[in-house]
Order: sequence, then structure tokens, then C-alpha cells
Amino acid sequence: MPTQVLPRSAPPSAAALDGLHTHIDALERKTGVRTIAVAIHDTETGANFRRHADRWLHAASTIKVAILLGVYAAIHRGWLLPHSRVHVRNRFASAVDGHPFRVGADRDADSEVHRSIGKMMRVSDLAVHMITTSSNLATNLLLDLVGLETVQRALDELYIDGIDVRRGVEDERAFEAGINNRVTADGLVQLLRLVAEERAFTPELSREMVAILHAQEFRSGIPARLPSAVRVANKTGDISTVAHDAGVVYPPNRKPYVVAILTEWAPAASGRSATIADISHAIYGLLTSQGGNHG
Amino acid sequence: MGEGHRFPLRIVDGLRLERSLREALMPGRVLHDDGGHPHTLPRYFYEVPSWEHAMNIQLSPNFALWEFIQTDVREAAPLRGFPRFVPCSITILALCLERFRDAVGTFVHISANGGYRSPRHAVNTGTTTHSWATAVNVYRIGDVQLDDREAIERYAAMARQTLPGVWTRPFGPSRGQTDDQLHLDFGYVVSVPHDAPADTLGFDAERRAS
Repeated sequence: MPTQVLPRSAPPSAAALDGLHTHIDALERKTGVRTIAVAIHDTETGANFRRHADRWLHAASTIKVAILLGVYAAIHRGWLLPHSRVHVRNRFASAVDGHPFRVGADRDADSEVHRSIGKMMRVSDLAVHMITTSSNLATNLLLDLVGLETVQRALDELYIDGIDVRRGVEDERAFEAGINNRVTADGLVQLLRLVAEERAFTPELSREMVAILHAQEFRSGIPARLPSAVRVANKTGDISTVAHDAGVVYPPNRKPYVVAILTEWAPAASGRSATIADISHAIYGLLTSQGGNHG
Repeated sequence: MGEGHRFPLRIVDGLRLERSLREALMPGRVLHDDGGHPHTLPRYFYEVPSWEHAMNIQLSPNFALWEFIQTDVREAAPLRGFPRFVPCSITILALCLERFRDAVGTFVHISANGGYRSPRHAVNTGTTTHSWATAVNVYRIGDVQLDDREAIERYAAMARQTLPGVWTRPFGPSRGQTDDQLHLDFGYVVSVPHDAPADTLGFDAERRAS
């Protein structure tokens, strides 16, 4: 079958990009959200969009994408194999003073890893749980295994700024001491762009990371209002005051675009996922000239 | 015991193993504990040809060899595959654990990294008797997860009643304590079975190898 060569899409006009800003402004007024930070890179047209994209926010679970990168850095260096086995032990040292803490099973979306306590799981399986169901226990096990330095060095070597990995998750003592993982929308887009363009270590390892992100089970943000034919490889992040989603969006017959939508809220605010989904829908319309309505 | 009932694993002299294995197992090497006391690591090991062997060899009625050699990626690289080597005291450990199992009357689950692990295992802190194959970490007994003071201290007391001389790590979060498993420890015991290979290397060779 001959390969169909599709015409490259034109980048969105300045007016269209202004329209997206206006749309987000209106959402801010309507929802009461404290901050909406957005970064987009379109690999089809090279277009970029930035709104508060360099603003540092609490990473919540989006930091797990950076930890995934660190795990694959360790695999790339030959320190680990995807099928290497790891003791599942729910005991970690606080980044503040080394005091031990545990990940509460009741605060973890994924119970499967907790059921394996005392036994072993493969690195690749832990990575899947960390991303697709945001397992906090899997995250801390992997970070404990590869170390903060490996993750940060991987980010540095790939010239990714805007991601600051300082500790594992559920480390309450660190949280109280103000030691938190932070991201910017730009930082997440830089990372995901490298993965999407198969430039993170090797094409094969990049594809493996994308495959894990594609298996994401939390779909109420970026993918929620996109056409069903659109594939999204994403990672969400939610705590009481932030709701984020970052991912690679693959529209049919077109190269993907990379997007990070980070939002900051009052603790009791509602409509967080819906706001992200609304912005994602508008971005899709902007870049594909389908279904977007910035009015 | 007649010839037909010989233990199915070959005993090897660790000093005669290839260099990478010697560096990982440190046979006959002297380690000093936190108090500065010297302890000599095991020199003789059972050679475990495959995981299948480990699964099929019962060390006692309720404990198979595999339960004592589950180590993760933090184990020294030469010891992650097969053949694997485990100190000969593993048989004594299994018998002690069998007696404990009789006392508790239900399944005793040894954690990953909680049986034998080499002196090069990355989770080791200080001189651990896990490298003598004389200690186990138990994370579950029957349906009870040993992750709180009540459960750990209850079963530690049962172990001390059942197993004269056993040391149980006290409950707590600090180094030397435990808060998510029961640590049963029989000390720095070295076993040299009768059919261990004769010492033909001599003292000087032994020193050179270490």
C-alpha cells in the first residue's frame, strides 16, 4: 500500500493564539481558579504557546513522568533491566531527616502494589503502576531504587529545566518543611517532547515510555473532550490545591502535539478536571481547526 | 542417612570459585560489627543450579530453598543469576524456622531480601547475619501482616520462647530496630558439613584469596 503523504498543517495564526488566551481568561473568571499555566509544542507545525509556562507549581503526581525518565536512564546505563525485580517494601526515609514513613494504602489509588508487600515486582510493572494508576508506593520504590540524583542528572543531561525533583511522594515531614517537587508547564512539555520525538536516550526506550503513558487510566483531563480517535499519552497530578495534566496528543493523520495544563485552586474548589478538559478541547480545535470554540 | 538420601546440592569451597563470585560472597573474610568485633563469613556454600532446583528442594517440611534466596536487583550482579550460592547454614536456619512455624501454627512468610543475601547486597547496613544465612525477615504470619508493634512483639516473644538463643530485633524506627517485619537472628553461625571439600588451599592461599 503506498504511503499517503499528508500536507503539513499551517501553524495557528497570532489571532488564533490570542483567541486561546482569551478563552483561558474567561475560564479563569468563570471558575475562580487561581492559576492556569499552559505550554504547548506542536511537532507538526513547530508552533508554541505559552501562558505562565515558567511559573513553578507543586508537581503533584506529574513528577512521576520525571521519575519514569530516571528509571529509563538507569536502564539506558545498564544499571537496571525492565525485568529486574524489586523488593516491595512500604518503608521510606523522609527527605528531611531520614525518618521512616509509609505510603498509606487508603491514600493510594492502586492497591495491587500494596498487595505485593514482602514480595518482588518487576521494574517495568512498577513503572506501569506508577504512571497508569499513579501508584504512590510504586513511585517511591522506583525513586528509592534509582535515587534522586539519577533522576535529576537525567533531566540535566537532556537539558530539561523546569522540573525540580526533591523527594518521593507522601513524605509529610518534607511537605511540612516546604520540600516539594515542582514543575513548570514548560518543563513538562520539554520532557514529553523528547519522549514523543524519540530523543530520550534511544528511540526504543522512548517508545517504551510512550507506551506506558498511553496506558493511562485517568482520562478526565486532557483526553476527556477529544474525539475518540485521538490517542493521548498523559499523566495527571492532583492534590488539594493543584490539578494538572500533561501529555502527548496524537490526532489522526497528523503529527502529535505536546501539552501541559497546570492549574492551582482553593482547596475546596470543584470543576478542576472539567477546566483542564475544556482547555484541552480548545487547544485541539486551535491546532486541528476542528471542534474548537474559543468564544 | 544412607547414600540414597544425600542432600541434593553440591557443596563448594567459596575460595575456589571464580573471582567475581569470590568478590561477591567474600568467603572466609572477616567482617567487624559496629562494636568492632570480628566475625568470619562462611566459606562453604551449597551450589543451587537453577530456580527450578530451588523450588523443588525442601529444607524442612514447610520451607523450600527458594524462600531463602529471593533477592532483588540490589544483590551483587554475579549472584542474581544461576548457579546461586548459599551458605551451608541455610539447612539449620530452615529447621529453626520450622520449629517456629510449629509454634505459631500457620504459614510463615519470608520477605524478599529477607533470607540469605550476600555481603555485597546493597541494602546491607553494617555486618548483617543475613550474609551468614542465619537470619530471616518475616513479613507475614498466616493472615497477619507484621507491620505494627503489637504483631511484631507478639511473634518475637513466641520466637524467643520457642527458639533458645534466638535474637529478635526490637520494635522501633531507628537503625537496629524494626517496624515492618520480624527479624529472627541466630547469630554468626558457620556450618561446615562433613562432605565439604577438604581444605587443600592452605592458610596462605586463603589469605591471598581474600
